[in-house]
Amino acid sequence: MRPNIYVKDKVAIVGAGLTLFRRRLLETPRELAWEASKQALDSAGLTLKDIDCIVIGSAPDAFDGVHFKGEYLADGSGGFGKPTVRVFVGGGTGVMIPIAAWWHVASGLCKTVLAVGEEKMSHAYPHPQGVFAYIWDPILERPLGPNLIWIFALEMARYMHVCKASKEDIALVSVKNKRNALDHPAAQAAANITVDDVLKSEVLVWPVQLLDISPVSDGAVALVVASEKIARRVTDTPVWIDGVGFTLDNTHWYNRDLSYPRYLEYAARMAYKMAGIERPWKEIDVAEPYDPFDYKELHHIEGLMLARRCEAPKLLREGYFDRSGELPTSPSGGLLGVGNPIAAAGVMKVAELFWQLRYEAGARQVKKPVHKAVANAWGDLMQAGTVIVLST
Amino acid sequence: MRSIRLPGMYLREEDLRKLVGVIEYTPRARYSYSAGQALSEFLRGLREGRILGRLCPSCNRVLVPPRVYCEHCYTQTTEWVEVPGTGRVESVVVSYIGTARERLEKPEIIAVIRLDAPGYGRDSFDFAGLFHKLCGVTEDDVKSGRVIGLRVKPRWKPLELRTGSILDIECFEPEVVESERA
Amino acid sequence: MSVPKKFRLEDTIHVKGKIEVEKYVYTPGVAGLKLAEALIDGRMLGIRCGDKILVPAKLYCPDFTQGEIVEVKDPWIVEAYTVIYEDMYGRRLEKPQIIALVRPENSLGGIIHYVKTDIEKIRLGLRVKPVFKPREERRGLITDIEYFEQLE
Repeated sequence: MRPNIYVKDKVAIVGAGLTLFRRRLLETPRELAWEASKQALDSAGLTLKDIDCIVIGSAPDAFDGVHFKGEYLADGSGGFGKPTVRVFVGGGTGVMIPIAAWWHVASGLCKTVLAVGEEKMSHAYPHPQGVFAYIWDPILERPLGPNLIWIFALEMARYMHVCKASKEDIALVSVKNKRNALDHPAAQAAANITVDDVLKSEVLVWPVQLLDISPVSDGAVALVVASEKIARRVTDTPVWIDGVGFTLDNTHWYNRDLSYPRYLEYAARMAYKMAGIERPWKEIDVAEPYDPFDYKELHHIEGLMLARRCEAPKLLREGYFDRSGELPTSPSGGLLGVGNPIAAAGVMKVAELFWQLRYEAGARQVKKPVHKAVANAWGDLMQAGTVIVLST
Repeated sequence: MRSIRLPGMYLREEDLRKLVGVIEYTPRARYSYSAGQALSEFLRGLREGRILGRLCPSCNRVLVPPRVYCEHCYTQTTEWVEVPGTGRVESVVVSYIGTARERLEKPEIIAVIRLDAPGYGRDSFDFAGLFHKLCGVTEDDVKSGRVIGLRVKPRWKPLELRTGSILDIECFEPEVVESERA
Repeated sequence: MSVPKKFRLEDTIHVKGKIEVEKYVYTPGVAGLKLAEALIDGRMLGIRCGDKILVPAKLYCPDFTQGEIVEVKDPWIVEAYTVIYEDMYGRRLEKPQIIALVRPENSLGGIIHYVKTDIEKIRLGLRVKPVFKPREERRGLITDIEYFEQLE
């Protein structure tokens, strides 16, 4: 399948590996990066000598508490005497990492790239919430004493109002994802819960309740990305990266409609155009939309044009998005079930699609045959959208 | 992916305390943020009890909060335009937690307000807006969904308490609707 | 820039703020934990990668293979040094101090630490050994070594 853009070399993912996702891990950030990288290289049957370039992604330095975090992680990611680059777009970093790896290979600059995403949020004591506090504009927003969950609650309330979705509809996402995560070996918050459990959990900022939110985690995930010639030599089923897209909206998040992720639609259009996909809701077989909150998955499903505006809650109720449904979403369990180390979470989703497309996902494998998949991540103050389209 | 044991050693909080070799450090960074050209004037306007916006000559939108460039058109904004401060509630929530996730004594009602300003359609995707607290509505009003779409106006602090910050507006409160008077 | 005619630099309003984290608690890591326990014992660890020994010990070698953790012994050599007169916050020290990069004789790498000797005697290649704090004061940190002193 030829991408609608001139590239020097077609790009494929050939290996993936990850560590456990837990609230607190003993390893230092470098050790986490090394563990994930080793798993990825082993799964591809390669060693560090075979890798040309390194891409590292890690969200705010303030979580790990070490400045220059990309360079700090470098030797744990193999960035020792090799071209190394760090990308950062907040939570969108997770999918920006394979996108940056794609740049390196598609341009012909590198033949193989090791892409690592890592986050250690447990260093911030007692709770990383304190670090989230300075994402706010210091002049107009911080004097009000805000908590980051306020923005998400405002978005959720607007979405509920515009699309007439109830809290029960939205809670179904949390139920689905946490149940899917029971089959994921790295999962932190997998559980068998019901809509009632979600609605009875602690109310933080109405309408957001405790079980609507993904947990804080430490973890790392790595991918090995290679050019066509090397990919075909290393594995029988390389997973091709057909399209990439990334966009930024403005920081004035209270100057735009919160019920629809416009930034995501722009990024998705860019990726779909490159991949030659004209009707995503028909052509995509499985998707991993970013789900740090349950309503966000519905938001992103609509932004990725996998459902019409406000149609997602109805389809969810019908089981359209279950693993056995027409268009499974978050078969891995997503961030709600597996965990949310900010930068590594998006890479975890891409790794999941990698395994799904190769039919290696074990108990998590979706029922229908899969050829095309899309994943997205989102970051900063409702701004950055990153999208990647994969296929076999 | 076969079911192999993944790397990563889980630590509970109690384990962390018993561990040797743990380092603790408290950062001591303090900042003095510059409000810049546009926001400094905006804050001065707040002290005088006015909400100021900037006009973009290319798309004719009045941007609130004001900035020296319009990011949609990428041009300089040219003049200061005062907006009445009235508007419509775009979205509203009830918060039970504060910045560091501590439980608040009294829940706070927070809203995004779509301000009346020239240059925008009635339901356009982009609008001139502010983020602030709401008074005069109860938690139940919010949860019933009646508050979204409500017309509001700013309630200012008394002149001697205003310092040139966003808190010079104490909160936004429901406008008295014209049709309710005789 | 669209600066209004009467706008002056003095008109800019400044808003104060600070970082809100109470503190950072850094975990030592899997290899760091072994290193911490060794320091409490009064020993130092390195990692053998191929035929070289690298100090301090890490979980992995630079080429990503797993190495073997071994103990490293005296003597240590001063690879580089400097004399400091002020502390981290710019306050004058009572006595100037010597900071040096020291490494065990047959290893690569090294650590940074204080060397306690007269300023006239410090030179590159000086042979030194670590002096540990009394056992009950050791916590598994690099400061369990109080300083390095000249080997006679």
